[in-house]
Amino acid sequence: MAPMELILELTLMPLVAFLVGMMMVLMMRRIAAKIQRRVGPPLLQPLYDIVKLHSKRTQVSHGLIHDIGIIMAMGGYIAAETLLPVPGMNGIAEKGGIITLLYLMMIPSLGLALGVGQCANPNGSIGIARALTAMLAYDIPLVIVIFGVAYAAGTTNLVDIIAQQQAGGFAAWGAVEMPLLAIAGLIAMHASLGKQPFEIYIAPAEIATGPMVEMSGKYLGGLFVMQCFQLYTTSVLYVSLFLGGGSTWFDFLLKSFLVLAIPVSIAYLFPRYRTEDLLRLMWKWPVMLGLIGVAFVL
Amino acid sequence: MTFTPLDELLLFSGATLLVALILGRGLAAGWMVTILYGGQLLTLIKMAALGYSDTIIHASISFEIMGQSLSWRFDALSWFFALITVASALLSSWFSCGEWERSFKQQGGNVWLYHSAMALNVFTMLILLASGDLLSLFIGWELVSWAGFLLMAMAGGVATRAAMRYITYAMAGGMAVFGGIALVYVAAGSLQYEAILTAVDQMSSTQLWMLVVMFGGGFGVKMGLLPFHLWQAPAYAETPGPGSAFLGAISSRMGLFAILLVLVKLFGIVNIDSLKIPFTLIDARDLLAWIAVFTIILPTFTAMKQNDARHLLAWHGIGQGGYMLLGVVVADAMGGAGGLLHVFNHATYQAALFMAVTAVIHRTGTSDLNKLGGLVVRMPLSFMVLLVGIIGLAGLPPMNGFVSKWLVYRSLLNEGMPLLFLAAVIGTLGTILSVYKLIHNIFLGQLRIEHEQVKEAPWSMMIPMLILAAIIFITGLFPGIPLAWVASVQEVIGLPATDYTLGGVESVSGSLDMIWVIGVLFAGFGIGAVIFYSAGRSKRVHQLDNYAGGHFLSADVRYQYSDNFYAGLMHLIGGWYRSSFLWLEKSVTSLVDFFSLVMQGLYRRANAEFYLLSTALFVIAWVVI
Repeated sequence: MAPMELILELTLMPLVAFLVGMMMVLMMRRIAAKIQRRVGPPLLQPLYDIVKLHSKRTQVSHGLIHDIGIIMAMGGYIAAETLLPVPGMNGIAEKGGIITLLYLMMIPSLGLALGVGQCANPNGSIGIARALTAMLAYDIPLVIVIFGVAYAAGTTNLVDIIAQQQAGGFAAWGAVEMPLLAIAGLIAMHASLGKQPFEIYIAPAEIATGPMVEMSGKYLGGLFVMQCFQLYTTSVLYVSLFLGGGSTWFDFLLKSFLVLAIPVSIAYLFPRYRTEDLLRLMWKWPVMLGLIGVAFVL
Repeated sequence: MTFTPLDELLLFSGATLLVALILGRGLAAGWMVTILYGGQLLTLIKMAALGYSDTIIHASISFEIMGQSLSWRFDALSWFFALITVASALLSSWFSCGEWERSFKQQGGNVWLYHSAMALNVFTMLILLASGDLLSLFIGWELVSWAGFLLMAMAGGVATRAAMRYITYAMAGGMAVFGGIALVYVAAGSLQYEAILTAVDQMSSTQLWMLVVMFGGGFGVKMGLLPFHLWQAPAYAETPGPGSAFLGAISSRMGLFAILLVLVKLFGIVNIDSLKIPFTLIDARDLLAWIAVFTIILPTFTAMKQNDARHLLAWHGIGQGGYMLLGVVVADAMGGAGGLLHVFNHATYQAALFMAVTAVIHRTGTSDLNKLGGLVVRMPLSFMVLLVGIIGLAGLPPMNGFVSKWLVYRSLLNEGMPLLFLAAVIGTLGTILSVYKLIHNIFLGQLRIEHEQVKEAPWSMMIPMLILAAIIFITGLFPGIPLAWVASVQEVIGLPATDYTLGGVESVSGSLDMIWVIGVLFAGFGIGAVIFYSAGRSKRVHQLDNYAGGHFLSADVRYQYSDNFYAGLMHLIGGWYRSSFLWLEKSVTSLVDFFSLVMQGLYRRANAEFYLLSTALFVIAWVVI
């Protein structure tokens, strides 16, 4: 591949992710509004929010690590997007593979954890402790799922995994071939988004929104950007593993939005779990489904 | 008589020991010893050809004892381990020079003993690594065990008790190894490696089983494999700072070296794989893999509960050893490379982490995770070193720990081992939780009022720490550098070699190129920084200018979350491992109790017929089998 073309892809992939991610935030808010019988925000509201937060006059910093944490939270996802193939663009997906992607997706959480740590607010620290515990909860079913998919495909290269599904048509889709893994993956994905009933680390009534307690202005803006990327990455990863990726942009976006709509719709119907209940749930049902699913694959 | 480079190395190392013994009380003793370690490293670099080919360098000395010839030589395996040993000794010793040494002396520490014990450890380890037959291996093994005891016991108090525990385990392990060597001698008629290699094919599976259990158990003690791991964490943690950096980096890897040499190279993974356990689906190799996996998980989750930074790190040292054994036992090209590369990577970040924690102790006087906090503003460079170290330990990109763990994961995936894969990932997740607690409780959160005047660690400590941090990052960016050595080690011990590139690994089932991964990661950080800094200017506030739900914060109020850090997790799993550890320790003690009772019963019963009968039965059993 020509270097110029590669650089163009590496620039375009995060940019697309950001735009689509903003629309996903909008969809999430619209779904919430529909369920709560409200009108919901206008089309460009996510963009307005990001611009507003970045141009606020109060920008409270608790030190350099606080700043770096936000940068890492955004930067980690920007990097992760280049490993996630989209129709017509593979970026450097072949140079890392799915395990690397999974670990790159932990960098933003680690950055956020560092930034929040420096805020010297115990509410934030408790939030991070809970967020990391949640990660321990949902990553266990998630890695079982990823093991199953990668073993069935015989590769950790996402480009190949997608190509295999597209070559075989609908019957070769991960969700059709490995339905148990697909269900387990969906539950784990829901928890990884940190939406109700799994928003144990935000918990406004207990720990004053946890990690966000000392975030103002562009710090909160950075977290907003991070959320756009997070929604995009999670749903596109699911689509790539189980729904055959996207052969065209229309197909790709449709699948991604639909997949995301499932956990989001559930989220606004439920109250919140306790930390240990989240662990218990994640380590029981999706793990069991995942292991049975893997047994079928082996 | 001409000296081979190996003679030079051993002489240099012996000279270092002598200098430490004679001049160890002097003013500049630390610097002299450090320079001599530098000399040893240079000699090793002169032998660098070993790391890229399968040549052998012999020592000029060899003995004949009772028909057994004893010889010493270096190959790629020895060179790889020796490089890590000498480099970590050099940096730990450098770290201890100057200010640390002075304050250690003021606190009543014995600097002479410290330097001598370190030099003795390095010397004995090099002898062990150079062993050319099983007898010299055994001699080296015992020397290393006692030298380690000296370094662990020197701090007195808790440390001595831990060291006593260690030496008890080590002696038992040594006896098992000796028994194994005796069995090998009976079977092969010689203790030379070549003779054993040919004899292994004729051994019955019972004999091989006995050997695997005896050698695996004996060497496993040193590695801290479950269930022989209970001595290690307190023993390493209580050693004086730089000593624990050295021990944590390499000491317990001597066990892995011996396992690689005897179980993998001499007996062969294929032979071990053919040893089935009756009535189960697993074989000896699976058994080793599962021991490795439990060695990863249980110590890692114990580490998470520690409230002392040094103990937390020492427990992780045990857990990381599990990844090395796991990779080697899987024994395909990627797994072997991952396990061996992890030895190198672990040494770099574990030494850096222990040094950073020692620097904090040097400045604040404590490593209690509930009595620190907010030090990042006072000790930013130490924070950075610790951060680099924990990213390596947790195995996240962009540090080197990621590469070796990636290789281990990939091998488990390729071989279709979902449960082992899952267990390896659980270990990593547990590590992430635990190291965040470490960095949060020391460097983040609220700065205590008594630490407001704390200064950054002195340069004599900072430079070795920064060198290690640089190595951790560079070998993460270019894993091909250590992978070249690892590939030659794989050839020497008879495992398939990996297809490495400068940036990682090339494979049809998914490659890794860290240069690209790290490149986009930093580009991402750059874009993040542009977005962040192009927005409005932020205002730096005091740490007490903070949300407290309508209360005023003042300096005497402790506004920090540190104790019982993962409360929600502990609600669920707290009970599990309290009982599992007690159960494990009790079962080991009661097993030993049982055997000692049996033995006592035998000794006390002066019954000639019984002895005769049991010996006869034993001999018959032996012949029949």
